[in-house]
Amino acid sequence: MHKNFGDVYAVQGVNFDVQAGEIFSLLGPNGAGKSTIISMLACLLEPTQGDALVMGHSILRDPMAVKAAIGVIPQDIALYEDLSARENLNFWGKMYGLRGAALRQRVDEVLGVIGLAERQKGRVGKFSGGMKRRLNIGIALLHKPQVIIMDEPTVGIDPQSRRNILDNVKELNQQGMTVLYTTHYMEEAQELSDNIAIMDQGKIIAHGAHDELVKIVGELDRIDLTINAEAGRVLERWQATEGVHQVSAENGQLTLLVDDSNVVLPRLFESASRAGVRITSVEIQEPNLEAVFLHLTGRALRD
Amino acid sequence: MKVLDIALKDMLRSFRSGFALVMMFVVPLLITGIIYSAFGGLGGDGGFDLPVTRVQVVNLDQPGPQFSFSFGQMLVGFLQDERLAELLQVTEAADEANARAAVDSQDAGVAVIIPPDFTTAALAPEGRASITLYQDPTLTLGPGIVKGIVSQFVDGFAGTRIASGVVADQLGQRGVAIDASLMQEVAMQYGAWAEALGRSRGEGAHPALDIQPPPSKTEPVSQGAGMMGPIMAGMVIFFAFFTGASTAETIIREDEVGTLARLFTTPTPRAVILGGKFAAGFITLIVQVVVLMLASAVIFRIRWGEPLSVALVALGLVVAAVGFGLFIMSFLKSTRQAGPVMGTVLTLSGMVGGLFTTGFQNLPAAYDTINLLTPHGWVLRGWKLVMAGGGVGDVLLPVLVTLGMGIIFFAVGALVFRRRFA
Repeated sequence: MHKNFGDVYAVQGVNFDVQAGEIFSLLGPNGAGKSTIISMLACLLEPTQGDALVMGHSILRDPMAVKAAIGVIPQDIALYEDLSARENLNFWGKMYGLRGAALRQRVDEVLGVIGLAERQKGRVGKFSGGMKRRLNIGIALLHKPQVIIMDEPTVGIDPQSRRNILDNVKELNQQGMTVLYTTHYMEEAQELSDNIAIMDQGKIIAHGAHDELVKIVGELDRIDLTINAEAGRVLERWQATEGVHQVSAENGQLTLLVDDSNVVLPRLFESASRAGVRITSVEIQEPNLEAVFLHLTGRALRD
Repeated sequence: MKVLDIALKDMLRSFRSGFALVMMFVVPLLITGIIYSAFGGLGGDGGFDLPVTRVQVVNLDQPGPQFSFSFGQMLVGFLQDERLAELLQVTEAADEANARAAVDSQDAGVAVIIPPDFTTAALAPEGRASITLYQDPTLTLGPGIVKGIVSQFVDGFAGTRIASGVVADQLGQRGVAIDASLMQEVAMQYGAWAEALGRSRGEGAHPALDIQPPPSKTEPVSQGAGMMGPIMAGMVIFFAFFTGASTAETIIREDEVGTLARLFTTPTPRAVILGGKFAAGFITLIVQVVVLMLASAVIFRIRWGEPLSVALVALGLVVAAVGFGLFIMSFLKSTRQAGPVMGTVLTLSGMVGGLFTTGFQNLPAAYDTINLLTPHGWVLRGWKLVMAGGGVGDVLLPVLVTLGMGIIFFAVGALVFRRRFA
């Protein structure tokens, strides 16, 4: 699929398959095109070029069938805050075609799943952020969709709520739902996904299971350093240091891919000392998706 | 069915909003109630009770011995006529200073000071005399009434002088001698005739005129209810258009909070989604208009008119308000814009439509024409016709124009929204 907005090419020739029953992650920084792809798959936007099949239905020719098959959990909470939890679920259930006793039963079930049965009559406006997020997810489950699409559901929330959401994703998948998950957090993609597509600037730059992707960077270690001076004072020196494959600097932090951190790190300290620069923190990571992204794009995954 | 689900959801949210309820029902009734109370209309037959004006009259008129009557005393008697008792409470002051002092201390609203040579000047060909009205500057209505009554009485003297002159001239041409007593008799008879004419005009009749209103199946409305009706109609129209814009604004608000996009991800056609929101506007407005009309009929005893005509005008109002609101909102990008734009546009269109001058009589004809540039003006015209006893035939034109304008606004607004969310 392609999608451009005037001269801005948000999605350029994206092509991927998601198998039934798997968790598939789109991993990339903000602006990579993840949300645009989600919007096209949810039939909110039409691709400029190309098509997609969701459960065999074309997003262009059969959008209603696509919408009936998917449940979309938007990044921002989208609820009617002046209605109760039950009233929200009732309404959205009707929008998904549920009626009468079937609707009542399903609403009861979902309230139990999301843990809001005790607060079903409470106004959503008075809920905590975590409760709203649970209700936000619950709405997407009302019609028992075959595919759940989650657009960065953990952005800006506390660690406990985030943990709950990740556990919910796994539970949903265990119940047989296919999950398409977008995130810019490497650890989420790593923990959840059967397959991952790494995106940058509208394109998929790598695609596969976690282990396959990590092999792209081989056995390279990642070292994150902060120094007490401008990065420019050591950048060239470190780039020329034996064992260093790649150096990038962003927001006061330098990230290096090196052969063996135990061997390269002393060289980096010595080089910095000669330049009159002091290294204030060091973090060493084994090969992971962030390293893959850095290797493929020359930039860190997170803003 | 989904259209109704969406409409009911929106209506539930509207009627749960305290602000919306206040703006839909409380404020229009409150404003009308304040005006109603200001004119003392809480009792009686629902009409107006004008406040009684206290008048101090000083009669300094001293007609000469040649006169057997006094115009000054006639004026005092006229002011003290029992038929004016509901308007004026007249007391004869001892002297001019006391009369002025009563007004200064607000024990009286007006002092009428009749000059010493009033009768003499009234009958003399070149005579001049003026009656002084000394009034409380904080009052307008009462002194205005007194001025009108006194002016009417004084105008009679001009006629007296003309009548006397004509009689003298005619008799002189025929060689008949004229004496002072004959002139006084002429003056007295003319004065009596003028006084009687003034009274009958005050009762709405004139000996040379037979005013016949068109046949009507409804009873004539009282003067008070006749004034409150258009005022309440103006409020109903203004706040109906406010509700129309507010319900359309929910489209923008839902777009901002994300629930509209979420609706678009459900297997619900966009036409159904937008249709549900339009339906919410229609139903909400119908409820609002019906409640306001019933409430005002009970509280202010307003008789709206023949039911079918009323229903047609109300339908035109609902269509116009929904269409106009949708039209305005379709060009706005955010709810932050909506607030000030809505207030400005609705106030200006209400003013141009004549909603804030319904209580004024005898406005220039050009103003009536300007009113018709807006759907508000056409709805108001329809209401006025209905309240005056008009039937379906009378209100057909305003209703059709209102419906037409509403449909055009609606079509443009719906088209803009559809393109925006395509």
